[in-house]
Amino acid sequence: MPTRLYRLYQGLTLIALCLFLAGKVISGKLTWYINLRFLPLTLLGIVLLAIMAQVVFRKPRSTDAHDHDHDHNHAQTPPGNLAILLIPVIIGVLFPARPLDSTAIDSKGVNVSAPLIGENAATRELEVTADQRNILDWIRIFNYEEDLSPYLGQTAKVTGFIYRTDDLPEGQFLVSRFVISCCAADGFAIGIPVQWDGADALEENAWVQVEGPVDAAELDGLKVPLILADKVESIREPEQPYLFP
Amino acid sequence: MQASQKISRPLVIVIALGTLAVLLFNLLPLSVFISLGQRLPVFATVFLGIFIEAVPYLLLGTLASGLVEVFLDRKWMTRFMPRGNLTSALAGAVLGLAFPVCECGVIPLTRRLFQKGLPIPAGVAFLLAAPVFNPIVIFSTASAFGWGEMLGWRLAVTLGIAVVTGLVFSVEKDAGNILKPLMPVVHVHLHEEESVQSFAEKIRRAFLVSVDEFFEMGRYLVIGAMLAAGMQTFIPQGTLLAIGNGPLLSVLVMLALAFILSICSTVDAFVALGFVGSFSFGAVLSFLTFGPMVDIKSLLMYRQVFRNRAVGYLVLLPLLMSLLAGLTFNYLFP
Repeated sequence: MPTRLYRLYQGLTLIALCLFLAGKVISGKLTWYINLRFLPLTLLGIVLLAIMAQVVFRKPRSTDAHDHDHDHNHAQTPPGNLAILLIPVIIGVLFPARPLDSTAIDSKGVNVSAPLIGENAATRELEVTADQRNILDWIRIFNYEEDLSPYLGQTAKVTGFIYRTDDLPEGQFLVSRFVISCCAADGFAIGIPVQWDGADALEENAWVQVEGPVDAAELDGLKVPLILADKVESIREPEQPYLFP
Repeated sequence: MQASQKISRPLVIVIALGTLAVLLFNLLPLSVFISLGQRLPVFATVFLGIFIEAVPYLLLGTLASGLVEVFLDRKWMTRFMPRGNLTSALAGAVLGLAFPVCECGVIPLTRRLFQKGLPIPAGVAFLLAAPVFNPIVIFSTASAFGWGEMLGWRLAVTLGIAVVTGLVFSVEKDAGNILKPLMPVVHVHLHEEESVQSFAEKIRRAFLVSVDEFFEMGRYLVIGAMLAAGMQTFIPQGTLLAIGNGPLLSVLVMLALAFILSICSTVDAFVALGFVGSFSFGAVLSFLTFGPMVDIKSLLMYRQVFRNRAVGYLVLLPLLMSLLAGLTFNYLFP
């Protein structure tokens, strides 16, 4: 492959990757793939890709023009292999973007108790009021607090999607969220059992907001929160479907 | 002969895959395909997750390599690197503190440093230790586990494995024997009269080197991320975690997970935290030491850079020593 064509090919691939990442950032879908924490890193990546494309596209100076005519470009990666770098863009275009949902639980499993963040996590939970706590906060409380009595009976208001496991009693479902520490690869689902009369009519994977007092229950030998729901409202999928610990 | 080989190989692969697809369609019940089809979006999300997360690190690694190529003088290396095997391996292991790269970026950088005359024990120790011995990873491990035992032992065990592996490799004196034949990465040849270049021109050249290296290594990142995402999507993680009991099995499961998940070393501590409740200290420690040294994507990149025998040692020695470390902790502090 002549050098100039090879460079053109590289440059276009770099631009495609750059635009792909920028598109994800602009549409706000970046957080469907990675933790928001890594946004600055992705932005840096976008800038580097843009600079690299610019360097590749820039007309070669007379100093290195001389070797554009001999055909000994041993540095070239075979063109077919170059195209591999386009696979992420192609997959991103072919598959409509979708955050992890209950289908993913089938391969990743669901947790009712997440031994997630170390020492000082529990103390933080005291600072937010009961109805501001999310699913992760409630599960942490039940993991780390010795004395649960102040929390029992408090009204929880959490959002999540519906997932059912076989070991749940009738009239119950899990209100679940995916937790992402770095990227979708380490995502796993957590869920709180919800007791509600209309539970069996609810559609799997649908997003709901659950409101009701919290009780303690036992599931698989673990102490977990149980929401005795007064209200289960169906809602649109939130823009940020994951929780970040 | 040459020409026919070039044409026929992809063709053979296409025919083989086509036959396989037809066979599978006839043999397997339709429901299998429906459930596979449903999981494809999950696969896409996980794959893109790994890729998007890792790409900036690979870009930084190749850029570091480009800058080393352009700005680091061979003479500097021979003057400042220690000569003895042990001191050289130790120096290599802590060299990461000066080059904050993770396991994607460290591979092209190590190759470049070898080219610049870095001694073999130092280079091998650097390759294995740098993804942990760098400020970013130390900080992220500390923010996950605190400035305590886990961080200390992670550093200590990584240092030990890297130095021992470096010493094993020290019997080899010629880097050419462990590296695959090198292709000169950038074809902008430097002639004597050109060696006096403006700073901007040097930067431009560094970027060109890094572009070529990005394309060379990036394809393994893509393929590795696809394999990792595929394994995660189609093999339920629960089955792996369910067998993870007992002092030996728990370590083996954590080692397997470190390999399969292929998470960047800069963030793996947060992932490891998720296993603390269900796995022993030793098992989690082995996850944190082995993962940064060997995983699916770095294995593919090793194969691009090193000869097969060297790749074998680079995988086996860290594997066995991480296993040993995990077992030791499981038996001494159950």
